[in-house]
Amino acid sequence: MLELFVAMIKEEWRVHSTMFGSLSFALFPILIFWIAFMGSFLLPLMRQELPPGELSLILHANYLMLGFMVGAFGLLGSEVMNRRFGQASLLTYSARSLPISERRIFANFVVKDTLYYFVLWVLPLALGFLLASPFIGVPVSLPLLLTLTLTLSFLFGLCAVFFLSSVYSRSKPALAAILISIAGIAGLLILITGQNPARFYPPLQLFLDFSWMNFVLSCIAIAILFCISIRLFSPGSPDATKHHKSLLMPLAGKLSIFSNPPLAAKDLIDMYRSGGIVGQTLFSFIIPLVVIWFFLSLLTGYIPPYGALLEFALVTGVIASTMYTWITMFDTFGTYACLPVSVRTVIKSKIASFSVLQIIPGVFIAVVAVLSGQAIYLVPAVVLCLAVSFYSLGVTVWLTGLSPSVLVYDVKVMVVYLILMGAALLVLSAVAFAAPFATLGAVLLLIPAVFFARLGFSKWETREQPGF
Amino acid sequence: MYGDLTAVNHVNLSVEKGALYGLLGPNGSGKSTMIKMLTGQIRPNAGTATVLGIDVQKDPIGVREHVGIIPEQETPPSFLTASEYLQFVGAIRKIPEIDKRAVEWFDLLDFADKKDVLCKDLSRGTRQKLMFAQAFIHKPKLALIDEPLINFDPIMQHLVKDYLRDYVKAGNTIFISTHILEVAEEICSGFAILHKGNILHTGTVADLTAEHRHLDEFFLSLVQKAPHA
Repeated sequence: MLELFVAMIKEEWRVHSTMFGSLSFALFPILIFWIAFMGSFLLPLMRQELPPGELSLILHANYLMLGFMVGAFGLLGSEVMNRRFGQASLLTYSARSLPISERRIFANFVVKDTLYYFVLWVLPLALGFLLASPFIGVPVSLPLLLTLTLTLSFLFGLCAVFFLSSVYSRSKPALAAILISIAGIAGLLILITGQNPARFYPPLQLFLDFSWMNFVLSCIAIAILFCISIRLFSPGSPDATKHHKSLLMPLAGKLSIFSNPPLAAKDLIDMYRSGGIVGQTLFSFIIPLVVIWFFLSLLTGYIPPYGALLEFALVTGVIASTMYTWITMFDTFGTYACLPVSVRTVIKSKIASFSVLQIIPGVFIAVVAVLSGQAIYLVPAVVLCLAVSFYSLGVTVWLTGLSPSVLVYDVKVMVVYLILMGAALLVLSAVAFAAPFATLGAVLLLIPAVFFARLGFSKWETREQPGF
Repeated sequence: MYGDLTAVNHVNLSVEKGALYGLLGPNGSGKSTMIKMLTGQIRPNAGTATVLGIDVQKDPIGVREHVGIIPEQETPPSFLTASEYLQFVGAIRKIPEIDKRAVEWFDLLDFADKKDVLCKDLSRGTRQKLMFAQAFIHKPKLALIDEPLINFDPIMQHLVKDYLRDYVKAGNTIFISTHILEVAEEICSGFAILHKGNILHTGTVADLTAEHRHLDEFFLSLVQKAPHA
């Protein structure tokens, strides 16, 4: 058991480090640490506008979302074995050749992912804040407590998505029932207490009111989610004899506005048949964003309501851009290497598929605008969201080509991405507060988006791709 | 070159039109690297490669347009059915009447009952059949095949060998890479032996037969005598 766990950790490290070099990958947590350390010095400025309690809300929401995103990327219910446990993760095939059950391998996989991403993402952030605390007049006990509660928040998000995805793989109606129940409980809490249900989030409660009882309750909540997800996990073999109706050419016909309809149709079929179009949309998009919206809505006492909506549109745009990762995760260029298809053509087809998927964030942000009583800002919110998403796509194409989920861990790539995105988000954020309708000008982001995408076409066309 | 490793070195080889040519060598000798170079997958640090008169480095897409390729490891896209994959290939290669041709291949290689099954759920042998079909469905003048009979059962091996022989008889060219010498001896006309990235020998099976020698014994004697063996 321990040997398998250690070997899985080594395997995960080697998968990443062989892709872009050990040094580049090792620098990644250092980059996160540095951002956290430097960012901490902005806290005194932010505290002039927001009470510390509200700042902690945002931090916990961020960590919760990080857990969600990491979990959702790793697991998608029935897709676990087929996708994440793909050819790159050979140890996960051990059940076929060694006397180890798939459930045990799954348990190892979950613990490994928890530890691995904790060291990669959570620990550097926590350490950065801890080391900065003496310089910003924060007692050391506070960052220590925050380290604990943020860790719990991350684990909560991770285990929650494991739980939901395990339920999803067993029964979609059961998942729907659980989500409806959660929404019902949230509604009841609002009715009974008159408070936003995000305030009852266990790790946040622990931070605001530390007690051993609260600590134990948080741990129990996480443990329950983890244990149930292990219990429910069922790799199950897909029905290998199932026949499928031909979708490719009919779908290609509907996508004829794009330059390579069959390639775009293939991407969308990949998403549909893998369960990703529902699973990814739910676990990597809607659920994290709903959680963020709950937390952001707590800030409406400090920022104008349209500000919360437009900030949310920005966040939605950034998360929507990760849909490029969804459509590049099913194949490498090797799939196309036997055919007269250039890298440029494949990237263009991925952009076409991405454009189709942007219906999801477009509709989502429009619904949020209406439900939040800010329908007047519907158009600016949708424009802002989609402009940011396409701009981020252009930058991602330039920086990572057809491997966005891999190259994002390259420090150089990450730094350039953060600078380019940070600059755009900062300007748009300021405009959103100062003159909300001026955010319609965000459509101008399409110019640099096209520019970066074109740079990407040329860059990746001349580089060797992982072929057959 | 891959970093410090020279995968293929000073290779000077030409294959005549209408040949069924075998590139033979042990594991790691550089056979697959050669196929990758010839299809524009990787660029050589020095030298040139020309396929059907097209410079591979200058126009890799042009090469792939005119040849059929069966890689050793690549499998068809997981979430397309076998039938959809051939339609996909047909759409990219702009093949007329692709559905009709696909049916011919399903029948020839005896997997019509699997045509609507997702590629990820197909057995290795059936995936290999599908890869075989995609390589020949546009009737290329040249096919580049890495380990042509791998994953096929004896019946299918027999059928495929016959198909390859007929294909070259019709004036086309086939370039295979293999370490299974019995196959090479049985179907190839010319061959080259590659070892540690260097060509040790080029010749014909007919010449060996005239000398009453077998390819496997000849191959072993060459490779074992080779420097750094």
